[in-house]
Amino acid sequence: MNHPGIDPVDRLAARASGPGAHPCDRALAAMPARVLGDLDPGDAAWLLDHVATCRSCGRELEAFMKLDTLVGLALELGEAPAPAVRLPRTRPVAWFARCDSPIGPLLMAASENGLCELTFEGFRGVDEVRDLLAERDFDARPAGPETPAVPSATLVRAAEQLAEYFDHTRTRFDLPLDFQGVTPFTRSVLDATASVPFGRLETYRGIASRIGKPGASRAVGNALGRNPLPVVVPCHRVVATGGGIGGYTGGLAIKERLLSLEGARLA
Amino acid sequence: MTTTTTARKADRDACGPPGVESFEELIDRHGPEVHRFLVNLTRNPAEADDLYQDAALKAFRAFGRLDRKANHRAWFFRIAGNAFLSDRRKHGRVDRLDELATAAIPAPTDDAAARLDAGEALARIGPMIDRLPPKQRMAMIARKQHDLGYSEIARLLGCSEAAARANVHEAVRKLRDGLGELLA
Repeated sequence: MNHPGIDPVDRLAARASGPGAHPCDRALAAMPARVLGDLDPGDAAWLLDHVATCRSCGRELEAFMKLDTLVGLALELGEAPAPAVRLPRTRPVAWFARCDSPIGPLLMAASENGLCELTFEGFRGVDEVRDLLAERDFDARPAGPETPAVPSATLVRAAEQLAEYFDHTRTRFDLPLDFQGVTPFTRSVLDATASVPFGRLETYRGIASRIGKPGASRAVGNALGRNPLPVVVPCHRVVATGGGIGGYTGGLAIKERLLSLEGARLA
Repeated sequence: MTTTTTARKADRDACGPPGVESFEELIDRHGPEVHRFLVNLTRNPAEADDLYQDAALKAFRAFGRLDRKANHRAWFFRIAGNAFLSDRRKHGRVDRLDELATAAIPAPTDDAAARLDAGEALARIGPMIDRLPPKQRMAMIARKQHDLGYSEIARLLGCSEAAARANVHEAVRKLRDGLGELLA
Protein backbone atom coordinates (compact mmCIF):
# COMPACT_ATOMS: atom_id res chain seq x y z
CA MET A 1 0.00 0.00 0.00
CA ASN A 2 1.20 3.44 -0.87
CA HIS A 3 1.67 5.86 2.04
CA PRO A 4 1.68 9.47 0.96
CA GLY A 5 0.96 10.52 4.55
CA ILE A 6 3.98 8.84 6.06
CA ASP A 7 7.20 10.66 6.09
CA PRO A 8 10.50 9.19 4.94
CA VAL A 9 12.18 10.59 8.06
CA ASP A 10 9.82 8.60 10.21
CA ARG A 11 11.91 5.59 9.38
CA LEU A 12 10.34 3.13 11.76
CA ALA A 13 6.96 3.84 10.27
CA ALA A 14 8.30 3.69 6.74
CA ARG A 15 10.00 0.39 7.34
CA ALA A 16 7.03 -1.06 9.17
CA SER A 17 4.71 -0.09 6.37
CA GLY A 18 6.98 -1.35 3.62
CA PRO A 19 6.18 -4.39 1.55
CA GLY A 20 6.48 -7.61 3.49
CA ALA A 21 6.16 -5.89 6.87
CA HIS A 22 4.22 -7.71 9.53
CA PRO A 23 0.74 -6.17 9.82
CA CYS A 24 1.18 -5.74 13.60
CA ASP A 25 4.42 -3.77 13.10
CA ARG A 26 2.64 -1.59 10.63
CA ALA A 27 -0.28 -1.09 13.02
CA LEU A 28 2.06 -0.18 15.89
CA ALA A 29 3.92 2.31 13.71
CA ALA A 30 0.66 3.99 12.73
CA MET A 31 -0.64 4.43 16.29
CA PRO A 32 1.10 7.71 17.23
CA ALA A 33 -0.24 9.25 14.04
CA ARG A 34 -3.70 7.91 14.88
CA VAL A 35 -3.55 9.56 18.31
CA LEU A 36 -2.44 12.84 16.79
CA GLY A 37 -5.20 12.71 14.22
CA ASP A 38 -2.84 12.85 11.27
CA LEU A 39 -3.17 9.39 9.89
CA ASP A 40 -4.58 9.50 6.38
CA PRO A 41 -8.10 8.11 6.04
CA GLY A 42 -7.05 4.98 4.12
CA ASP A 43 -4.53 4.01 6.80
CA ALA A 44 -6.96 4.82 9.58
CA ALA A 45 -9.55 2.47 8.06
CA TRP A 46 -6.95 -0.25 7.64
CA LEU A 47 -5.86 0.17 11.27
CA LEU A 48 -9.44 -0.20 12.53
CA ASP A 49 -9.85 -3.38 10.46
CA HIS A 50 -6.62 -4.74 11.85
CA VAL A 51 -7.36 -4.09 15.53
CA ALA A 52 -10.77 -5.68 15.10
CA THR A 53 -9.05 -8.95 14.33
CA CYS A 54 -5.86 -8.63 16.42
CA ARG A 55 -6.43 -8.52 20.19
CA SER A 56 -2.95 -7.40 21.17
CA CYS A 57 -2.97 -4.52 18.69
CA GLY A 58 -6.48 -3.63 19.90
CA ARG A 59 -5.17 -3.38 23.46
CA GLU A 60 -2.23 -1.32 22.32
CA LEU A 61 -4.41 1.13 20.44
CA GLU A 62 -6.54 1.49 23.56
CA ALA A 63 -3.39 2.24 25.54
CA PHE A 64 -2.50 4.97 23.02
CA MET A 65 -5.98 6.45 23.30
CA LYS A 66 -5.67 6.48 27.10
CA LEU A 67 -2.31 8.18 26.67
CA ASP A 68 -4.00 10.82 24.55
CA THR A 69 -6.46 11.58 27.38
CA LEU A 70 -3.69 11.59 29.98
CA VAL A 71 -1.50 14.02 28.05
CA GLY A 72 -4.49 16.33 27.74
CA LEU A 73 -5.19 16.08 31.47
CA ALA A 74 -1.56 16.53 32.49
CA LEU A 75 -1.15 19.63 30.39
CA GLU A 76 -4.43 21.40 30.99
CA LEU A 77 -4.08 20.93 34.76
CA GLY A 78 -1.78 23.93 34.82
CA GLU A 79 -4.19 26.28 33.11
CA ALA A 80 -4.12 29.85 34.39
CA PRO A 81 -5.27 33.16 32.89
CA ALA A 82 -2.69 35.07 30.89
CA PRO A 83 -1.21 37.92 32.92
CA ALA A 84 -1.56 41.47 31.65
CA VAL A 85 1.36 42.42 29.41
CA ARG A 86 3.60 45.09 30.90
CA LEU A 87 4.81 47.24 28.05
CA PRO A 88 7.69 49.65 28.37
CA ARG A 89 6.09 53.05 28.72
CA THR A 90 7.32 55.58 26.21
CA ARG A 91 8.62 58.45 28.27
CA PRO A 92 7.52 61.95 27.33
CA VAL A 93 10.31 64.08 25.91
CA ALA A 94 11.47 67.16 27.80
CA TRP A 95 13.19 69.53 25.34
CA PHE A 96 15.76 71.71 27.05
CA ALA A 97 17.32 74.99 26.03
CA ARG A 98 19.44 77.77 27.53
CA CYS A 99 18.34 81.36 27.98
CA ASP A 100 20.24 84.30 29.40
CA SER A 101 18.98 86.42 32.27
CA PRO A 102 20.29 89.15 34.59
CA ILE A 103 20.83 86.46 37.24
CA GLY A 104 22.91 84.33 34.90
CA PRO A 105 22.13 81.68 32.29
CA LEU A 106 19.01 79.59 32.84
CA LEU A 107 18.30 76.07 31.61
CA MET A 108 14.68 75.44 30.75
CA ALA A 109 12.87 72.33 29.62
CA ALA A 110 9.40 71.93 28.15
CA SER A 111 7.26 68.91 27.30
CA GLU A 112 4.06 68.72 25.28
CA ASN A 113 2.25 69.53 28.54
CA GLY A 114 4.19 72.59 29.56
CA LEU A 115 7.32 74.00 31.13
CA CYS A 116 8.75 71.26 33.34
CA GLU A 117 12.15 72.52 34.48
CA LEU A 118 13.97 75.76 35.18
CA THR A 119 17.47 75.76 36.64
CA PHE A 120 20.18 78.34 37.28
CA GLU A 121 22.98 76.99 35.16
CA GLY A 122 25.59 78.39 37.51
CA PHE A 123 24.15 76.07 40.13
CA ARG A 124 23.37 72.95 38.07
CA GLY A 125 24.88 72.05 34.73
CA VAL A 126 23.27 70.36 31.75
CA ASP A 127 24.18 66.84 32.90
CA GLU A 128 22.59 67.37 36.29
CA VAL A 129 19.45 68.77 34.69
CA ARG A 130 19.25 65.74 32.42
CA ASP A 131 19.54 63.49 35.47
CA LEU A 132 16.81 65.42 37.28
CA LEU A 133 14.52 65.10 34.27
CA ALA A 134 15.28 61.39 33.92
CA GLU A 135 14.40 60.92 37.60
CA ARG A 136 11.04 62.47 36.81
CA ASP A 137 10.68 59.95 33.99
CA PHE A 138 11.30 62.38 31.15
CA ASP A 139 13.41 61.65 28.10
CA ALA A 140 15.60 64.78 28.12
CA ARG A 141 16.74 66.05 24.70
CA PRO A 142 18.28 69.32 23.59
CA ALA A 143 15.79 71.52 21.75
CA GLY A 144 16.46 71.90 18.06
CA PRO A 145 14.79 71.98 14.65
CA GLU A 146 13.06 68.64 15.41
CA THR A 147 11.38 69.99 18.57
CA PRO A 148 7.59 69.87 18.03
CA ALA A 149 5.64 73.11 17.87
CA VAL A 150 4.04 72.96 21.33
CA PRO A 151 7.14 72.52 23.51
CA SER A 152 9.00 74.85 21.20
CA ALA A 153 6.38 77.58 21.67
CA THR A 154 6.40 76.99 25.45
CA LEU A 155 10.16 77.52 25.58
CA VAL A 156 9.89 80.73 23.54
CA ARG A 157 7.03 82.09 25.69
CA ALA A 158 8.89 81.21 28.89
CA ALA A 159 12.01 83.04 27.69
CA GLU A 160 9.93 86.10 26.72
CA GLN A 161 8.04 86.20 30.02
CA LEU A 162 11.23 85.75 32.05
CA ALA A 163 12.80 88.66 30.14
CA GLU A 164 9.73 90.79 30.92
CA TYR A 165 9.83 89.76 34.56
CA PHE A 166 13.48 90.77 34.91
CA ASP A 167 12.61 93.97 33.02
CA HIS A 168 9.97 94.90 35.64
CA THR A 169 7.16 94.68 33.07
CA ARG A 170 5.63 91.41 34.27
CA THR A 171 4.47 90.35 37.70
CA ARG A 172 2.80 87.00 36.88
CA PHE A 173 3.71 84.15 34.61
CA ASP A 174 1.17 82.79 32.20
CA LEU A 175 2.55 79.45 31.06
CA PRO A 176 1.42 75.84 30.97
CA LEU A 177 3.38 73.92 33.61
CA ASP A 178 4.18 70.21 33.73
CA PHE A 179 4.73 68.76 37.21
CA GLN A 180 5.20 65.13 36.12
CA GLY A 181 7.28 63.20 38.62
CA VAL A 182 6.72 65.70 41.43
CA THR A 183 5.36 64.03 44.58
CA PRO A 184 1.83 64.96 45.66
CA PHE A 185 3.06 66.68 48.83
CA THR A 186 5.60 68.80 46.97
CA ARG A 187 2.95 69.56 44.40
CA SER A 188 0.56 70.86 47.06
CA VAL A 189 3.34 73.04 48.50
CA LEU A 190 4.13 74.42 45.04
CA ASP A 191 0.46 75.15 44.34
CA ALA A 192 0.15 77.08 47.62
CA THR A 193 3.37 78.95 46.85
CA ALA A 194 2.16 79.90 43.38
CA SER A 195 -0.63 81.94 44.95
CA VAL A 196 1.76 84.23 46.89
CA PRO A 197 1.56 87.48 44.88
CA PHE A 198 4.46 89.40 43.36
CA GLY A 199 6.33 91.47 45.94
CA ARG A 200 4.73 89.74 48.94
CA LEU A 201 6.20 87.27 51.40
CA GLU A 202 4.92 84.18 53.09
CA THR A 203 6.54 82.00 55.75
CA TYR A 204 7.24 78.28 55.65
CA ARG A 205 4.77 77.96 58.52
CA GLY A 206 2.20 79.99 56.55
CA ILE A 207 2.48 77.64 53.55
CA ALA A 208 2.19 74.68 55.92
CA SER A 209 -1.10 75.99 57.29
CA ARG A 210 -2.34 76.86 53.79
CA ILE A 211 -2.04 73.18 52.84
CA GLY A 212 -3.66 72.08 56.10
CA LYS A 213 -0.48 70.72 57.70
CA PRO A 214 0.43 73.40 60.24
CA GLY A 215 3.23 71.38 61.80
CA ALA A 216 5.00 70.69 58.52
CA SER A 217 7.13 73.86 58.12
CA ARG A 218 10.35 71.88 57.75
CA ALA A 219 8.78 69.56 55.19
CA VAL A 220 7.55 72.63 53.31
CA GLY A 221 11.10 73.98 53.24
CA ASN A 222 12.39 70.68 51.88
CA ALA A 223 9.64 70.55 49.25
CA LEU A 224 10.45 74.10 48.10
CA GLY A 225 14.10 73.05 47.81
CA ARG A 226 12.92 70.62 45.16
CA ASN A 227 10.90 73.21 43.23
CA PRO A 228 11.54 72.31 39.57
CA LEU A 229 10.35 75.74 38.40
CA PRO A 230 11.94 78.47 40.56
CA VAL A 231 11.07 82.09 39.71
CA VAL A 232 7.93 80.88 37.87
CA VAL A 233 6.69 79.18 41.05
CA PRO A 234 7.90 81.92 43.41
CA CYS A 235 9.52 79.91 46.19
CA HIS A 236 11.79 82.93 46.72
CA ARG A 237 8.78 84.64 48.37
CA VAL A 238 8.74 82.07 51.16
CA VAL A 239 10.94 83.00 54.11
CA ALA A 240 11.58 82.03 57.72
CA THR A 241 9.10 82.98 60.46
CA GLY A 242 11.51 85.09 62.56
CA GLY A 243 12.33 87.42 59.68
CA GLY A 244 15.23 85.37 58.34
CA ILE A 245 15.49 84.89 54.59
CA GLY A 246 15.45 81.07 54.84
CA GLY A 247 17.13 78.92 52.24
CA TYR A 248 17.27 78.83 48.46
CA THR A 249 18.28 76.12 46.06
CA GLY A 250 20.52 78.01 43.67
CA GLY A 251 22.02 80.22 46.36
CA LEU A 252 20.77 82.90 48.72
CA ALA A 253 22.27 85.63 46.51
CA ILE A 254 19.71 84.82 43.84
CA LYS A 255 16.88 84.82 46.37
CA GLU A 256 17.96 88.25 47.54
CA ARG A 257 18.18 89.52 43.95
CA LEU A 258 14.68 88.30 43.18
CA LEU A 259 13.18 89.76 46.35
CA SER A 260 14.81 93.14 45.76
CA LEU A 261 13.65 93.08 42.13
CA GLU A 262 10.10 92.63 43.45
CA GLY A 263 10.62 95.33 46.11
CA ALA A 264 9.85 92.89 48.92
CA ARG A 265 11.20 93.74 52.34
CA LEU A 266 12.08 91.22 55.03
CA ALA A 267 10.57 92.05 58.39
CA MET B 1 -22.61 51.43 7.83
CA THR B 2 -24.24 48.25 6.55
CA THR B 3 -22.39 48.62 3.28
CA THR B 4 -19.08 48.88 5.10
CA THR B 5 -19.82 45.81 7.22
CA THR B 6 -20.84 43.80 4.19
CA ALA B 7 -17.83 44.97 2.26
CA ARG B 8 -15.53 44.07 5.12
CA LYS B 9 -17.11 40.67 5.47
CA ALA B 10 -16.71 39.99 1.78
CA ASP B 11 -13.13 41.14 2.02
CA ARG B 12 -12.50 38.79 4.90
CA ASP B 13 -14.12 35.84 3.19
CA ALA B 14 -11.96 36.45 0.16
CA CYS B 15 -8.64 36.61 2.03
CA GLY B 16 -9.18 34.13 4.82
CA PRO B 17 -9.09 35.16 8.46
CA PRO B 18 -8.50 38.89 8.86
CA GLY B 19 -5.05 39.96 9.96
CA VAL B 20 -4.46 41.48 13.34
CA GLU B 21 -4.54 45.28 13.14
CA SER B 22 -2.81 46.24 16.36
CA PHE B 23 -0.65 44.83 19.09
CA GLU B 24 -3.58 45.07 21.51
CA GLU B 25 -5.67 42.98 19.16
CA LEU B 26 -2.88 40.40 18.93
CA ILE B 27 -2.84 40.09 22.72
CA ASP B 28 -6.63 39.97 22.95
CA ARG B 29 -6.97 37.37 20.29
CA HIS B 30 -3.95 35.13 20.74
CA GLY B 31 -2.53 36.04 24.15
CA PRO B 32 -4.54 33.48 26.14
CA GLU B 33 -3.61 30.51 23.97
CA VAL B 34 0.04 31.52 23.64
CA HIS B 35 0.16 31.81 27.42
CA ARG B 36 -1.45 28.38 27.71
CA PHE B 37 1.18 27.06 25.29
CA LEU B 38 3.89 28.31 27.65
CA VAL B 39 2.12 26.87 30.69
CA ASN B 40 2.00 23.55 28.85
CA LEU B 41 5.66 23.78 27.85
CA THR B 42 6.98 24.68 31.28
CA ARG B 43 4.22 23.12 33.39
CA ASN B 44 5.09 25.89 35.79
CA PRO B 45 2.71 28.88 35.82
CA ALA B 46 5.22 31.33 37.32
CA GLU B 47 7.85 30.47 34.74
CA ALA B 48 5.20 30.60 32.02
CA ASP B 49 4.16 34.11 33.13
CA ASP B 50 7.75 35.34 32.85
CA LEU B 51 8.25 33.79 29.43
CA TYR B 52 4.92 35.18 28.30
CA GLN B 53 5.91 38.68 29.34
CA ASP B 54 9.18 38.18 27.48
CA ALA B 55 7.46 36.94 24.34
CA ALA B 56 4.82 39.68 24.41
CA LEU B 57 7.54 42.32 24.69
CA LYS B 58 9.42 40.85 21.71
CA ALA B 59 6.18 40.73 19.76
CA PHE B 60 5.50 44.35 20.70
CA ARG B 61 8.90 45.48 19.44
CA ALA B 62 8.66 43.53 16.19
CA PHE B 63 4.96 44.12 15.53
CA GLY B 64 5.49 47.18 13.37
CA ARG B 65 7.85 45.33 11.04
CA LEU B 66 5.44 42.44 10.48
CA ASP B 67 3.47 42.15 7.26
CA ARG B 68 -0.18 42.83 8.02
CA LYS B 69 -1.17 39.77 6.03
CA ALA B 70 1.16 37.50 8.01
CA ASN B 71 -0.15 34.63 10.10
CA HIS B 72 -0.02 36.46 13.42
CA ARG B 73 -1.06 33.47 15.47
CA ALA B 74 1.77 31.26 14.20
CA TRP B 75 4.17 34.16 14.47
CA PHE B 76 3.29 34.75 18.13
CA PHE B 77 3.58 31.02 18.88
CA ARG B 78 7.01 31.07 17.26
CA ILE B 79 8.15 33.95 19.44
CA ALA B 80 6.87 32.13 22.54
CA GLY B 81 8.54 28.88 21.43
CA ASN B 82 11.84 30.68 20.93
CA ALA B 83 11.54 32.34 24.33
CA PHE B 84 11.06 28.90 25.86
CA LEU B 85 13.98 27.30 23.98
CA SER B 86 16.38 30.16 24.61
CA ASP B 87 15.46 30.10 28.30
CA ARG B 88 16.28 26.38 28.43
CA ARG B 89 19.60 27.03 26.69
CA LYS B 90 20.44 29.93 28.98
CA HIS B 91 19.93 27.79 32.03
CA GLY B 92 22.00 24.97 30.57
CA ARG B 93 19.07 22.65 30.82
CA VAL B 94 19.00 21.45 27.23
CA ASP B 95 21.90 19.05 27.36
CA ARG B 96 20.82 17.52 30.60
CA LEU B 97 17.28 17.10 29.36
CA ASP B 98 18.39 15.63 26.06
CA GLU B 99 20.64 13.21 27.88
CA LEU B 100 17.85 12.14 30.14
CA ALA B 101 15.52 11.75 27.24
CA THR B 102 17.84 9.59 25.18
CA ALA B 103 18.23 7.28 28.12
CA ALA B 104 15.26 4.97 27.85
CA ILE B 105 12.49 5.92 30.23
CA PRO B 106 12.16 2.81 32.37
CA ALA B 107 8.83 1.04 32.16
CA PRO B 108 7.36 -0.28 35.38
CA THR B 109 8.20 -3.98 35.50
CA ASP B 110 6.55 -5.61 38.47
CA ASP B 111 3.06 -6.99 38.42
CA ALA B 112 1.88 -4.45 40.95
CA ALA B 113 2.30 -1.80 38.29
CA ALA B 114 -0.54 -3.31 36.35
CA ARG B 115 -2.85 -2.58 39.25
CA LEU B 116 -1.97 1.07 39.50
CA ASP B 117 -4.82 3.32 38.46
CA ALA B 118 -5.07 6.27 36.14
CA GLY B 119 -4.09 8.56 39.02
CA GLU B 120 -0.65 6.99 39.08
CA ALA B 121 -0.33 7.27 35.31
CA LEU B 122 -1.36 10.91 35.52
CA ALA B 123 1.20 11.56 38.25
CA ARG B 124 3.90 10.00 36.09
CA ILE B 125 3.14 11.54 32.76
CA GLY B 126 3.85 15.12 33.79
CA PRO B 127 7.48 14.50 34.69
CA MET B 128 7.82 12.33 31.57
CA ILE B 129 6.67 15.24 29.42
CA ASP B 130 9.22 17.42 31.22
CA ARG B 131 11.97 14.97 30.33
CA LEU B 132 11.24 14.99 26.60
CA PRO B 133 13.85 17.01 24.71
CA PRO B 134 12.59 20.62 24.62
CA LYS B 135 12.04 20.71 20.87
CA GLN B 136 10.22 17.39 20.88
CA ARG B 137 8.08 18.47 23.79
CA MET B 138 7.29 21.73 22.05
CA ALA B 139 6.39 19.99 18.80
CA MET B 140 4.07 17.54 20.52
CA ILE B 141 2.33 20.20 22.59
CA ALA B 142 1.92 22.52 19.60
CA ARG B 143 0.33 19.71 17.62
CA LYS B 144 -1.77 18.03 20.29
CA GLN B 145 -2.95 20.93 22.42
CA HIS B 146 -2.84 23.84 20.02
CA ASP B 147 -3.60 22.26 16.70
CA LEU B 148 -0.68 23.86 14.87
CA GLY B 149 0.02 22.43 11.42
CA TYR B 150 3.27 20.62 10.65
CA SER B 151 4.47 23.45 8.43
CA GLU B 152 4.09 25.81 11.39
CA ILE B 153 5.75 23.35 13.76
CA ALA B 154 8.60 23.00 11.27
CA ARG B 155 9.17 26.76 11.42
CA LEU B 156 8.85 26.64 15.19
CA LEU B 157 11.63 24.04 15.42
CA GLY B 158 13.67 25.33 12.51
CA CYS B 159 13.54 21.98 10.71
CA SER B 160 11.77 20.32 7.80
CA GLU B 161 8.11 19.45 7.92
CA ALA B 162 9.10 15.78 7.78
CA ALA B 163 11.35 16.14 10.79
CA ALA B 164 8.62 18.05 12.64
CA ARG B 165 6.20 15.19 12.11
CA ALA B 166 8.79 12.61 13.12
CA ASN B 167 9.52 14.56 16.30
CA VAL B 168 5.89 14.64 17.33
CA HIS B 169 5.39 10.94 16.62
CA GLU B 170 8.57 10.10 18.48
CA ALA B 171 7.41 12.07 21.53
CA VAL B 172 4.11 10.20 21.65
CA ARG B 173 5.89 6.88 21.26
CA LYS B 174 8.29 7.71 24.08
CA LEU B 175 5.44 8.58 26.42
CA ARG B 176 3.66 5.38 25.50
CA ASP B 177 6.77 3.30 26.19
CA GLY B 178 7.42 5.17 29.42
CA LEU B 179 4.02 4.37 30.86
CA GLY B 180 4.18 0.70 29.88
CA GLU B 181 1.66 -1.41 31.75
CA LEU B 182 0.11 1.61 33.45
CA LEU B 183 -1.92 2.10 30.28
CA ALA B 184 -3.07 -1.51 30.10
